[in-house]
Amino acid sequence: MSSELACLRLAVLLYLAATVAALLAIAVRRETPRALMPRLLGVGLVVHTAALGLRSAHAGHPAVTTFDEALSFLALLLVAIFLVVQFRRPLVALGAVVSPLAFGLTLAADAVYAGAQPLPPVLDSLWLPVHVGLAFLGDAVFALAFSASLLYLVQERRLKARRGPGLLRHLPSLETLDRLNYACLVWGLILLTLGMVSGIIWAHTAWGRFWSSDPKVLFSFLTWGIYVVLLQGRMIAGWRGRWAATLTIAGFAVLVLSLVGVNVLALGNHGKAF
Amino acid sequence: MERAIVLVGLNHRSAPVAVREQVAFQNGQLGPALRRLMDLEGVHEGTIVSTCNRVEVIACGADPTRLSALLPRFLAGEHDLTETALAAHLYTHADREAVRHLFRVAASLDSMVVGEPQILGQLKEQYAAAAAAGASGQVLHRCFHKSFSVAKRVRSETGIAEKAVSVASAAVELARGIFDRLTDKSAMLLGAGAMGELTARHLLAQGVGSLMVANRTFERAIDVARALGGMPVPWDGLSRTLPLADLIIGAASGDDFLLGPAAMEEALRERRRRPMFVIDLAVPRAIDPGVNALDGVYLYDIDDLEGVIADNRGARAAAAAKAETIVEAEVDAFWGWFTSLDVVPTIVALREKLEALRQQELERTLSAMGDLDPKQRQAIERLSVTLVNKILHTPVTTLRRHQADRAEPFYIEAARRLFRLGVAADDDEEE
Repeated sequence: MSSELACLRLAVLLYLAATVAALLAIAVRRETPRALMPRLLGVGLVVHTAALGLRSAHAGHPAVTTFDEALSFLALLLVAIFLVVQFRRPLVALGAVVSPLAFGLTLAADAVYAGAQPLPPVLDSLWLPVHVGLAFLGDAVFALAFSASLLYLVQERRLKARRGPGLLRHLPSLETLDRLNYACLVWGLILLTLGMVSGIIWAHTAWGRFWSSDPKVLFSFLTWGIYVVLLQGRMIAGWRGRWAATLTIAGFAVLVLSLVGVNVLALGNHGKAF
Repeated sequence: MERAIVLVGLNHRSAPVAVREQVAFQNGQLGPALRRLMDLEGVHEGTIVSTCNRVEVIACGADPTRLSALLPRFLAGEHDLTETALAAHLYTHADREAVRHLFRVAASLDSMVVGEPQILGQLKEQYAAAAAAGASGQVLHRCFHKSFSVAKRVRSETGIAEKAVSVASAAVELARGIFDRLTDKSAMLLGAGAMGELTARHLLAQGVGSLMVANRTFERAIDVARALGGMPVPWDGLSRTLPLADLIIGAASGDDFLLGPAAMEEALRERRRRPMFVIDLAVPRAIDPGVNALDGVYLYDIDDLEGVIADNRGARAAAAAKAETIVEAEVDAFWGWFTSLDVVPTIVALREKLEALRQQELERTLSAMGDLDPKQRQAIERLSVTLVNKILHTPVTTLRRHQADRAEPFYIEAARRLFRLGVAADDDEEE
């Protein structure tokens, strides 16, 4: 087993441990798992970064082009962004959604592991890290928005049901989750827009045309459109709460579809090489 | 000789508020009352605890029966009441029971709202007053400080303080599930009533930014608003003020609901669907249950709140059992120390300790000196005996002289610590 794969697997285990810690922190009133969760994620992030770094060094280009690399990179960014949020304001329940997401993504990356692939020369450019970095950063922020929305729906249901707080008494407040959703929406949309613009420019320099009917591109526009509508609704019509959370989840579902579906079916430029 | 701790008092369970009011000590009265308490014969140490839910006198002296008779008389005398009138409301705890009671009070296990944190601060304040008046001594010093550390242990190990018990705290707990913070939120009290006012007061105490008070009679709204530190708003213009309210407390019931879905929907639209937490405390209900169906409205009536409290109670039972175990263990530890505070055993222990040292050193010296004739041996032995007796003379006479007076525990404690005798030396961790 290469040291890169070993690092990836160690990261998988650390994310699993963080998942357990986060669930424990919600279930029982204990300081230890609460404090442990971000630390486990932090160590996982370092190991995970090492894995991707080694892979990139081995491949000779940023390791963000194959499907397993993409999954792994997305998990990395998600954990990193979560830790930034967590540092500003500890949200243990959010960790209980983000940690299993990161665990699942890295586990999937391990399952479809194919090793470094040579990059078609036409794609070997500085635009690669810029385009992929921005787009994936956007995706990761939307994943966080999805996590917050999921928690929102759980918390909202619990409050509407009017039973006691029960096991879930430590969920963040609706207001906190809604605010986080809004912030993620704004940042995610900015990053996704920049990612798409950089993609268009890159396409022009590589193939001489701005547009291709690549399914990935079409799906990205669809995702972008949903989020733009959602942001508009929030800013102008005052959408919030359950409706906004539901739309955020729908938007993320389309995003996942564009990410996974397109790659699994290996369609278009993005499918063959991410 | 005997030594006793006796606690006499009344609390929210044993006496109605009218009686508690009569017996309570105001801030300025505490010092003089403590001095009068200390003037009583047989009282070596004393402290008075007086809060809105309890008045208790704790005293330490030589004779428990005497103290149990003295303290009720003292309490009645302080407030110009007859002893018989007061007797029905008083409880008396002696010795271990007194210590346990104090520990439970400090840990807020005896409070009306179990786990409420204010009691510890009040206890500390009033103990400080007793210390300043020179009324507390060695025993009560240790007893109170121990009770403070018991309270801390109970709080940190059981989390009992965090559990909402009263309806008001349950409401606040629920509000925290909806709102990030309460400081920028407004509450509105609809109608008046003891329960509603109490809840509004609690919400303000928990940091809710502002309070509006609406009532069918505006004068009443003004009165209530003034009492609570809120702002009266007109009943007729409710549609204008309702959108400003993040929390609504329905307190008065009438023939008809005060609020229905239509009015709420309008308010929600006005406030761009920011969530509204609606608490209906009235029976029959003041707010149409249909408003809970609106997106962004969370309506809890009194039964729902009771359910929340019951849920907390389940979690609390385990915490309370654990808290009682902690108290019991600490009472044991304190009692071990307290019973070691006796002159006779202390003197015996002191003698035994020095005798053991004497024999040990004598043996060593004699064996090191080799051949000695019996006369020389006797001389050395006599030297050691005399030395021990001379060393012991002053401490022992001092201990005897202070037997049965207030300084006794101090000297016993000092002797036990200086010579490391038994229990007293083993825990020094208080404060």
